[in-house]
Order: sequence, then structure tokens, then C-alpha cells
Amino acid sequence: MSRLLVVDDEDEVRDALKRRLDREGYNVTTASSAAEAMEVMQTQSPSFDVVVTDMSMEETNSGLAVLQDAIAHDIFTEVIVLTAYGNVANAVESMRRGAFDYLEKNVPGVDVFELLALKVGQAMERRRSAVSTVRRLEDYAARQAK
Amino acid sequence: MKATNEPCPQSTSPAVHEDHNRRAEEFLRDLNSLFAEAVRTGESHAFLQRTLDASVRAVRGRRGFLALVHFESGELEVCSTSGEGWSRLGRKMQLHLAQETSRGITGHVALTTRPYVTGNVDRDPYYLRYFDDVKSEIAMPVLAATGQTRGVINIDSERPDAFDADDMAHLAAIAQAASIALGIEGFRTREAALIEIGKTLSSTLEISSLMKKVVDMAAEAIRFEDCSVFLIDEQSNYLKLMATRGALADKVGKTAYPVGEGVTGSVAKYGEPVRIDDPRSDPRWLGKFNELSDDDIGAFLAVPIMSRDKILGVLRVVRRKANAPWFSNRFTDTDERVMLTIASQLGAAVENARSHMRLVRAERMAAWGELSARSAHMIGNRTFALKGDLNELNYLIAELPENEQRKEIAAIAASMGRGVERLEEILREFRDFVVATQLATAEADINAMLRSVAEESFPKRSNVRLAMDLGDGIPPVICDEKKLKRALSELIENAVSFQPEGGEVRISSRLLTPEERATERLAHGRNYVRIEVADSGPGVADELKEKIFQPFFTSRVKGMGLGLSIVKGIVEAHQGVLRETGRLGEGARFVIFLPLEP
Repeated sequence: MSRLLVVDDEDEVRDALKRRLDREGYNVTTASSAAEAMEVMQTQSPSFDVVVTDMSMEETNSGLAVLQDAIAHDIFTEVIVLTAYGNVANAVESMRRGAFDYLEKNVPGVDVFELLALKVGQAMERRRSAVSTVRRLEDYAARQAK
Repeated sequence: MKATNEPCPQSTSPAVHEDHNRRAEEFLRDLNSLFAEAVRTGESHAFLQRTLDASVRAVRGRRGFLALVHFESGELEVCSTSGEGWSRLGRKMQLHLAQETSRGITGHVALTTRPYVTGNVDRDPYYLRYFDDVKSEIAMPVLAATGQTRGVINIDSERPDAFDADDMAHLAAIAQAASIALGIEGFRTREAALIEIGKTLSSTLEISSLMKKVVDMAAEAIRFEDCSVFLIDEQSNYLKLMATRGALADKVGKTAYPVGEGVTGSVAKYGEPVRIDDPRSDPRWLGKFNELSDDDIGAFLAVPIMSRDKILGVLRVVRRKANAPWFSNRFTDTDERVMLTIASQLGAAVENARSHMRLVRAERMAAWGELSARSAHMIGNRTFALKGDLNELNYLIAELPENEQRKEIAAIAASMGRGVERLEEILREFRDFVVATQLATAEADINAMLRSVAEESFPKRSNVRLAMDLGDGIPPVICDEKKLKRALSELIENAVSFQPEGGEVRISSRLLTPEERATERLAHGRNYVRIEVADSGPGVADELKEKIFQPFFTSRVKGMGLGLSIVKGIVEAHQGVLRETGRLGEGARFVIFLPLEP
């Protein structure tokens, strides 16, 4: 089962995200801060496939810290960042640092939860293909070595 | 006793000679003390009485009076009398003098500004009889530094041919002392008034009460029938009446006309004082918003109120036409200097009050921005959670069997969805407002921007027509294109929404000429692009022209009323100016003056 980490400092938001992603059939773990997320990621094995994190928690750019930790732990973990409207600068920065995508939480008339479910699906897909590519490369290298 | 027995070698007797010497001494003593007093006294009434008494003594007259020209009417008014019989005749004399123009001797002297002597009043063409025993009369004008008559000293005698050239010379010297005393008194009054104005201006921060005080105190420093202060409204570039004393009182805060229009408008445009005697002879004169009717205005003086680098408004005074022929109601160079002094103090005070206001506003905005950014973030998060719940609810509803109950629940969920959407629209408006002044600038093509905004914001199906008139030769503008587009689309959406029955939206752009830049009172040394979004809707009432840009002002149900304040914030962050210059009933006209570089 695909493993997913949801990071947000607001209980209601965390619950809502978990409930929606549970419905998609993922194995969802939650954390309420960047620090907790780091702890959870270090003890988790195998590592999370996708991390969904809020941008603004303890710090206005805590999401960037979560992103950095996730990638440091497993280069293939895909990270989706949730941002507040108008905080485009941080969103762009997270893309530059290798996030899968970012989503604005409050876009009038857009059901972000549906959109998120879709994006998580795509992120899972990318991770799978990246992992399998690496595996094929490893197999190839192993065969060459023999 | 030898001398008395000898025949007198001269035509005058020693007794006469002695009397002459005694009189000369007395005169010099009087004159000396009068001049000393003239520069010292603050009691002009007592001083004038002593002047008159000294005059009567100097010429050995029987009685005399001193009349002054009244400040407003120009009529002669008796202010001191000397000698007998006045209590009975004083009032009668007053009435006669008021009618005495060039007929009586006093009026004649006032008019010609020359002394007059008659040795036989019965044969004099000017003499009007008040006392039965008068045979001779001498009258001496008291002149102001400008050469105008300030008053007349008039002395009579029961002796025929009582006054000679010596008397004339003595009286002239005394009149000089009176003239100096009156001049100094005038200076003192003005000085005190100007100091008072200065004190008030530096201690008052509220502009409209400050204006009112200035108008009241100016009356002490300069003689006028009425005085008004106009300030240029930054928003509309219109002159607005801030304070006045007379006929225009009910128009304070309301009356407005464009900078450049009429005499007052041209003072506001060019920053030069205008002084005219007959306003109607001036080609710029329109006669709108006057304190007196054109027929009554005798003189008009308007000076600019300046800050360090721009014209803030106009201070103007008018005088009524004089009804006495020796009296000129023109404004003098001194009047103009006094007015310029008051205006410059006023300018500094207005600037002071405005910068204080800006500071308070900036602090308030900073605090408010911080508060709203935090609360918007928190509300945004809760709304996001709510959206999650709603998403789950809709999922559960889809699982229910299709029946009436499910329909009802679905309807409620849909309504909640609309509520959440509405909440997020408000949040967006809120955040746009907070971040309106944070620019990320780059070079942009204004006309391309206008075309793309019109394309995006103008409804595809609408009975409102779109007309574009984009000028050539507009250089690239350094701006935050995204924010400017946000501002322009707000203006376009506004224009469309106010014309539900159809109409027109006209979008135009052009480079501003230096002449227009001056008229619009924009900063020097900068080039501006003029962008206009006009419609044929109901337009904006004059009293709302300022209010529509204030946060939370709205005449629509939709939105928070932050729209135009966001537009203004964005334009001003670019160092530009946003104005609404349309007329009520003809449609709204929003004009943006955007500098090529912020």
C-alpha cells in the first residue's frame, strides 16, 4: 500500500486531508509540525512515497524544511506543498527545490481536495516510474557485473 | 524803561514778537512730544485727540475736528473734536460729513489730498456752515504712505484771514506726526495678526478648523469684505472651498471647480498671485462662486497656497466698491505681501497636517496589514478544512439512495459550497488589498497589457460595447504587470457591472504632454502614461468621488468594497495617480497617470 505523510499544524485541516486521502486507499500518517515530520520520516521504513505539507506552520516557510528533509531521506519521495493564496514566492521556491507541485488552499470555486487527490495520484505514479527505472538500471548494472 | 519810550523800529511790536516766540516754542514742544508719542503709542484715540489739540493751539484756531476715512465705506468719520459747541453739533456734523463728498472743505481736501485755507468763509465755494461765528477755516490732509487720504484735520477761527503760510507749515508737520502714528498702528495690528495666525497654524492639525481660524484672523491683518480659502483636492484635482466668511458659507466643503478654470483656478494652476480692480475686465473671469456680485466687487486679490514643491490651493479676498471718491479700494503691494505671508504659513501648516495624517495612516495600515494577514491566514486554513468536510459530505451524499431526502441534503451541501466559495472570494479580496503595495517590477508594454486585460476581463457575451483607443509611441513602462492587470480588470469589471442594461466601456491610453502634466499637477521630471477606463453608466456623484476609493465603500452587494481601494493602492505603489473625473449622469471615468518608472 502506498505510504503518505500529511503535515499540517491545524487539527481540522490534518483530519480533513487524512480522511480524503484515506478514501483513495492510501496508508496515511500525519504530523503536526516540520519537526514532528522529520522524526516520523526518520523512523519510517520503507520511506514515504508522497509527502503533503503545509507551507506556513512554525515558520512561514516550514514547508521548505519538510521538503528538504523528505528528499534528504529518500530522493524519490514526492512532495506536494499547500500554500495560502498570494504566497507565490514560497511556492515557486519549493518547485525550484524539487517539489512535485504546489496547491493554493483557497481558490474560490475550486475543490482543492479533489485536485489534491488527483495530484497525489500523479505523484505516486512518478515515484513508481522513477523507482522502477532505477531498479531496472540497478538490475542492468548487476547483470553487467556478472 | 528806556526801551518802551523809544519808537518801535520794526513793524511788529515786541509784545507781538514775544508772543510769536512763545508760540514757536510751544509748537516745537508739542511737535516733539507728538513725534515721540507717535512711534510709541498703542492708544491711537488719545493720541489723535492730542494731535488735534496741538493743531488748534499751533494755528490759534477757535475749534477743530479730526476726521478719519472709514476702513470699509471710505466715508469720513469725526474721531476727535477740540473747542466749544461740539456736543450739540457733533452728530449733525457726522451726518453732513457722510454726505460731503467734494462739496465741503473737508471732502474737498480728502479728495485733492492738498491743504486748503479760506480767510472768508462767506465767499468760499466749498464752505458748509455748521457754526454761526466762523470766518476762516484751514484744513490739512493726513496722508498714508501710499499717498491716499487717511483723514483730515479741520480748524476754524472767528477772525477773518486768520491763517497764513506759517500756520499751514505747522499744521503740515503735525499731520505728518498723525500719519506716522496711524501707519505704525496699522503695522502693529498686522504684525500681531500675522503672529497670531502663525501660532494657530503651528498648533492646529485638523485642516478644516485651521482654515476657519485663518480666515477669521486674516480679517485683522488685511481689510476685506470677504475672504475664502480653496484647497486642491488631490483625488479629483478640483478646487474645494474650505472656509469663507460671508455669502459662500453654505458652500463650504461642497463647491468645487477644476484647476485652471476662472481667475482662482488659474492661480491654482500657475502659482502666481492675481490682483485686479475690476474683475470683469479680466478675460479669465467667470464670476462663478463669488462672495459678492460682479457689480459690487471693487477689488480682487488671490494668492497661491504653496508647499515646498507644489500648489496646494488659493487664498483670496475681495473688497466692495467704494462709495467715496477719495477712497480707493484697490489692494496694494503691502496687501499682497501680507496675503502671501499668510498663504505661505497656511501652506506649511497644511503640509504639516497632511504629513501627520499620512504618518498616522501609514502606521494604521501597517498594523492593519499585519492583523489582516494573520487573520486571513487563519480564516483561510479553517475554510480549507471546511472544504474538506464538504468534499466528504458530498461523497457520502453520493452513496445515499436517490430520494427526496438525499435531494434536500444535496441542496444544503450545495448552498454550503457556495458559502465557502463566497468566503474565499472575500479572502482573496482581502489579501489583494494587503499585498497591493508589494510590487515585483519589470518592463512592460502598456498597450499589450490593456489588450490582454480587456480580452480576459471583458465578458464574452454582453450587451456592453468595448471601444479601445490605444495611443502610439508609448515607451515600455517599468511596472508590476500582474498587479496592474488586476487593477485594470477591476475597473473594467466595475464599468460592465454598472451597465446591466447595456452601454459602452472605452479604454484608452496615451503619453501625457508636459503641459497636461502641469495641469494635472503631477510630479515634474517624470513622463506619464495616461490610461482611461470610461463607461456610459450612471457615473459618480461629486460627494462620493473621494469616498469610492476608501476601503469598505461599496454600492454593490458583491464584494467587500475593497475593489477600488485595491486599484488605488496598486496605482499609488507605482507612484501613479488614480482619479475619477466623470460627471454624474454621463458615466464614470477612471484615469490612471502612470509614471514610466515607479
